[in-house]
Amino acid sequence: MNTYYAANLLIYAGIDIIACLALNLQFGVTGIVNFSFIVFQSVGAYAAAVLSMPPDTANGGFQHYIGGYELPFPIPWIGGAIAGGLLAIPVGLVVLRKLRSDYQAIALLVLSVIANTVITNADKFLGGAAGIALVPAPLQDQITPNTETYQYFYIGITAVCVALAFLVVHRVVNSPYGRSLRAMREREIAAAAIGKNPVQLKMAIFIVGGMIAGLSGAILVGFINVWAPSVWLYPETIILFAAIIVGGRGNNIGAILGALLVPVGFEEVTRLLNSNGSLANFGPPGLLSALQWVAIGLLILGFLWFRPQGVRPEPRRVFEGGVE
Amino acid sequence: MNLFVAAFGFGLVSMSVIAIAAVGFTMQFGITNMINLAYGEVMVSSAYVAYYLNKAGISVWIGMVAGALFGSVFSFLLNRFIYAPFMRRGTANLGMVIVSLAVSLMIANLLLPIVGYYPVSYQEDGGGLIRLGPIALTRDQFIVIGIAVVLMLAIHALLTYTRLGKAMRATAANATLARNCGIPTGRVIDGVWLITGALCGLAGVVAALNAGSFVIGNGAAFLITILAAAVLGGAGQPYGAMIGAVLIGLITEFSAAAWSPQYKEVVAFAVLVLVMVLRPQGLLAKRGALAAAG
Repeated sequence: MNTYYAANLLIYAGIDIIACLALNLQFGVTGIVNFSFIVFQSVGAYAAAVLSMPPDTANGGFQHYIGGYELPFPIPWIGGAIAGGLLAIPVGLVVLRKLRSDYQAIALLVLSVIANTVITNADKFLGGAAGIALVPAPLQDQITPNTETYQYFYIGITAVCVALAFLVVHRVVNSPYGRSLRAMREREIAAAAIGKNPVQLKMAIFIVGGMIAGLSGAILVGFINVWAPSVWLYPETIILFAAIIVGGRGNNIGAILGALLVPVGFEEVTRLLNSNGSLANFGPPGLLSALQWVAIGLLILGFLWFRPQGVRPEPRRVFEGGVE
Repeated sequence: MNLFVAAFGFGLVSMSVIAIAAVGFTMQFGITNMINLAYGEVMVSSAYVAYYLNKAGISVWIGMVAGALFGSVFSFLLNRFIYAPFMRRGTANLGMVIVSLAVSLMIANLLLPIVGYYPVSYQEDGGGLIRLGPIALTRDQFIVIGIAVVLMLAIHALLTYTRLGKAMRATAANATLARNCGIPTGRVIDGVWLITGALCGLAGVVAALNAGSFVIGNGAAFLITILAAAVLGGAGQPYGAMIGAVLIGLITEFSAAAWSPQYKEVVAFAVLVLVMVLRPQGLLAKRGALAAAG
C-alpha cells in the first residue's frame, strides 16, 4: 500500500462523505428525493473546471468549452459551490412548488437523464461527450502535483471541506430549523398548519444541498483533472442513495458510515477484483461492473426490506421537559 | 412543407408506439398506485425476447406476441414478488419509487452481460413503401398504427363494457371501498399487471421495430417519452395517456424535422416541464401530480 494509493482512497472517501452529507440533508432529513443529485455535483465540477482553466484556444484548441478564466484557488471551488446553489433555484422552483413528492422524484430523475443527453450532444458548450481534460490541479504552480507533498496537501484541503460540510449540516439538523424540516418530512400538512412554509423550507435545503454537492464536484475535478458526461450518468446518484439508506436516513454519522461502506467500499472491491487477473477476465466483458450495479440494487432492496432505518438509525429526539 | 407532411406521417407512427406504452404505464399507476420506473427496462427485455426469436428465424410479428407474453408474465412477477410485498409492508410512495428504480437498475445490468453492448435490429425489411396521399410509410409502420388503434379500442371496451374493467375503475377510484363492495381487488390488481405488462412488452417490440435498432440504454429514453405522455394526459388516466401520446408523438416528430432528431427526448422533457409548471394535474385528471390534500 503506497502513499499514492492511500491518498487516493482518502480523497475519494472525503468527496463521497461530503456528497452523502448533502444528500442526507435533502433526502434523509427533509424528504426531498433528489434523483438528480449527481447533476449538482457535476455542475460544480464543470464550473470549477472552466473557472480554473485557460481559454479553450490554449493547448492547441483541441477541446471546446465556454469560459476559461484561469482564476486562482480557491475561487474555482467557491464558484463550483455557487454554481450548484444557482442551479438549485430554477430546478427547485419548477419541481418543489406544486408537485406531489413522488412526482418530484420522477421529475428530478428525468432531469438527470436529459441534462446528460444535452451536455453530451452540445459539443461546443462543455466539451460534449469527450468532456473536459487538463483541468489544473489547485495551486499546481506552487506545489508540483504527483508529489507526496501535494497528496498530503490535497488530503488536507479535502478534510477541511469535509469538516466544513459536516459543520453546516450538523448545525442545520440540530437546530429548531432542523426540527421544522423533520416535521415537514413526517407530515407536510401538519407542519404547514403550524405556520411552516414547506416550499420555502424545501427550497432553502435544496439550495444548501446543491452548494455542498457543487463543492464535492469541484474537489473531485481538481483531483482527477477531467470531467465528462460518462462519469455523471443517473445511476451514480443511486449509489449515493444506497449509501444513505445503508448508513441510516436522517443521521449524519450514518451518512458518513454509508459513504465509507457503499461508494468507497464498492470502488475498492471492484478494484481488488479487477487487479486479480483471472477474475477480471471472468465471463463476458463488463460482467463485473454490471454485477456491481446489481449488487447496489440488491443492497437497496435488502435494506429497505430488512432494516429500513439503516445501520445507524436517526436518533429519536425526546423533549426532556415534556409533560407525563 | 413536404418535410412537415412527412413528419406528420412519422408522428402517426410515433404516437401509436407511445400510446401503447403510455396507456399501460398510466393504468399501472392509476389502479395500483405504483409508479413503475422499471417499465422502460421491461420494454427493452421484451424487445430482446422478440430479437432472439427473430434471430432463430421466427417472424417478428410472432416475436411481438411472445414479447407481449413475456412482458405480461415479467410484470406480474415483479409485482408479486417485489412491489406488492413492499406495499403490504406500508412502504410509502416515495419508498416505492426508490424500489422500482433499484429494480430497473438491476434488470438493465442483469441483461447487459447476456445481450451485450452492441445495438441489434430485427430481420424485417419493412415491407415496402405504401403511399396514402402525401404520406408515405412502410407496410410495417401502417401495421403498427393499426395495432395501436385496435389496442386502444380494446382498452376502451375493457374499461367500459366488461366486469373486469369496471372493477378496475372501482379499484382505481377507491380500493378500500371497492373491496368492501365485494370486488376482489387483489385479483383485479393481478389482472392489471398482466394486461399492462402485455401492453408494455408489445410496446417494447413495436418501439424497437420502429427505431430500427436498439440497445439496453434505450429503456431510459422510452421511459422519459412515456412519462411525458402520461403526465401530459393526467397521470393514471388511460384516455389522457392516449391524448398525451398523440401530442407528444406529433411534437417530437415535428421538432425532429425542424431541429434535430437527437433532441426528441429533450423536447419530450420540455413538454413535461411545461405541464408540471402550468398544469401539474395534466389535461384530464382532477388531481394528478398536484400535492395531496391530506
